[in-house]
Amino acid sequence: MRKVTTPVITIIVIAICLFLAGCSQAQNKSDPAATATSTDLLKANWDEVASQAKGQTVNMYMWGGSESINRYMDEWVAPRLKEDYEVTLQRVPVNDINDTINKLLAEKQVNKKEGSVDLIWINGENFKNAKEQDLLWGSFDKQLPNFNQYIDANAPDIKDDFGLPTEGLEAPWGKAQFVFIYDSNKIKTPPTSMAQLADWVKQNPGKFTYPAPPDFTGSAFIRQALYETTGGYQQYMKPLDSDSLTPKLSPLWNYLNSMETSLWREGKTYPESLAKLDQLYANGEVWMTMGYDPARASNEIKKGTFPASTRTFVLEAGTLANTHYLSIPFNSTHQAGAMVAINFMLSPEAQIAKFDPLNWGEDMSLDLQKLSPEDQKLVSEIDRGIATLPAGELASHRLPELPSAYVDVLDNGWLEYVAK
Amino acid sequence: MWQNSKPYWLVLPTVSVIVILFFGGLVEGLAHSLGYFPAAGQLDFSTRAYHKLLSSKDFWLSLWLTLRISFLATLFSGILGMGISLFFLRNQQRKSRIGLWLQGLMNLPLVIPHFVGAYIIVLMFMQSGYLARILYGFGLIQQFEAFPVLTNDPRGWGIILAYTWKEAPFIALMIYPVLKNIYSNWLEVAKVYGAKPWQFFIEVVVPLLLPAWTSSCFIVFDFTFSAFEVPYLLGITYPQMLPVLSYTLYTNGGWERMPEAMAINVVLTLITALLGIMAYKLSRRWGMPGGKS
Repeated sequence: MRKVTTPVITIIVIAICLFLAGCSQAQNKSDPAATATSTDLLKANWDEVASQAKGQTVNMYMWGGSESINRYMDEWVAPRLKEDYEVTLQRVPVNDINDTINKLLAEKQVNKKEGSVDLIWINGENFKNAKEQDLLWGSFDKQLPNFNQYIDANAPDIKDDFGLPTEGLEAPWGKAQFVFIYDSNKIKTPPTSMAQLADWVKQNPGKFTYPAPPDFTGSAFIRQALYETTGGYQQYMKPLDSDSLTPKLSPLWNYLNSMETSLWREGKTYPESLAKLDQLYANGEVWMTMGYDPARASNEIKKGTFPASTRTFVLEAGTLANTHYLSIPFNSTHQAGAMVAINFMLSPEAQIAKFDPLNWGEDMSLDLQKLSPEDQKLVSEIDRGIATLPAGELASHRLPELPSAYVDVLDNGWLEYVAK
Repeated sequence: MWQNSKPYWLVLPTVSVIVILFFGGLVEGLAHSLGYFPAAGQLDFSTRAYHKLLSSKDFWLSLWLTLRISFLATLFSGILGMGISLFFLRNQQRKSRIGLWLQGLMNLPLVIPHFVGAYIIVLMFMQSGYLARILYGFGLIQQFEAFPVLTNDPRGWGIILAYTWKEAPFIALMIYPVLKNIYSNWLEVAKVYGAKPWQFFIEVVVPLLLPAWTSSCFIVFDFTFSAFEVPYLLGITYPQMLPVLSYTLYTNGGWERMPEAMAINVVLTLITALLGIMAYKLSRRWGMPGGKS
């Protein structure tokens, strides 16, 4: 026994050493090649990109918290992409895309040229961080045929992502709008302003709460409150000056603190995620939830998680709306495949399917006017579900998002002034 | 020559993995906590993050909460684990079918990941959870609010509950072989000298079991002290347990607060290491009955 194990272990040790050495060599060798092709790709014509993409497997890192979105990706997008373009789309679900940005940052730090992330779904703060740290590949959107044909590249809500110019580093995938979700059996007339919401909360103690920022939805809720409590959004569209910002925020903290004792669990704790808030709502423990997706309530009714009496509302002064994007990291190894995948997801076919609540039910990033008459008719015929507000009502109640620099300030301020 | 160096070669694969992954990560984390962050262009070292951390109220509140929760969770799982282990022993002697079935059930938490375990606790014990609904269904409570707040509670009972449920079988499994040995080696002798069962337990079993029991308790303590998922799911917004605070700082504070998050991890590592050394020293002393050497 002994005589056998010694050589075996020696071999293993040698193998490990060789493997490690091999890894570093392989990486060194492929570096120049990888960078050469990636810069060429940014100039290549579309046929070249498409032919290079054939056979590639694209790892798409995206928030995985919504079953309907996941199903749309796995059952609608992936098979068609495979069949029509020979690109395999592998969805990698993450809880928060921020984790992926941190992963990319770590990879950048150790100079890892061949990352596993080929495609990411981002916007706002994450885009800002990624752009500032040079974690994104390059300006690719003008190369996508569908981008050029169907998207209004100069629209302010496309060109700027939370006030930050995209510069082609990301391509718009869809639009979202903040809505409140409530049970119409329990609430006859939903509030139409944040002030009314606070009154309602005080009259119905324990029946309302919001996810604790930095949760995406919770963070959006306090931005929503910010607009109304501090006199509108226009003042925040200028660049950040933290000295003039801080005193402006105190009405917001007062507002949130004034309703705190009437919140769920008397505001001693907040749900750490939207999923938890949804669970509380589904169980009937609270009577309202919220979300940055106008069609989500209809989807949840259909799945049976939310009661059938669930409806949504927006505030009279409007609710936050934003655009979200698809982007390619600096060290993606399948950039061509990622470009083809993005182009496909921006096609009218994919966008209309996404608009359909049977799949996802989310607003398109395409300009409706640029679609063919047949496609426009298709769009108008889609029934978006009983709890989803009509597209016109949503569109007329849209407020722009804050520049993302404010988001961190607000999230940290919330922890400082409200949570403690 | 080969004969002398052989043991070292044999452990080399394991050691190299530990050195590269474990110490590599540790060094990296330490450097990051000192503000060294090449990707963001920061190349100098400073103890700013530690100053900021140690002077913040949040840190001390979190540290206190973490110590309290870990201590209680360890205490409860230690006691419960000892009980389960004794039950296993009794089972082994009697071999009843129900007993074996129960034994399997008690081992069940071992195969369930912490994350899932914590979520089970949430679903079972939240105010509108399964348990509350069952009680409501039987008319024992009139409304969900009557059910006690057991998850996401300020005192951390939900976390303690989850850890106790999860770690008690672990402790039971760790001390069971020792317990079995004690009974098979010493029970007859003790009987000859006229010891009653409870006397045997107090005078013989407990002292002999203590080293194994304390070291498994230390493992549990160290784990609960530095694990993230259970307090994330079952904790409250403020104060958070240290691992969750670290996560919040790392993900929420932007690049400039990451060193603080790393500093928390370094502090966690130091405390855990310190406790590990203490456990080792203690078990050595107890390991030699009568303290002969």
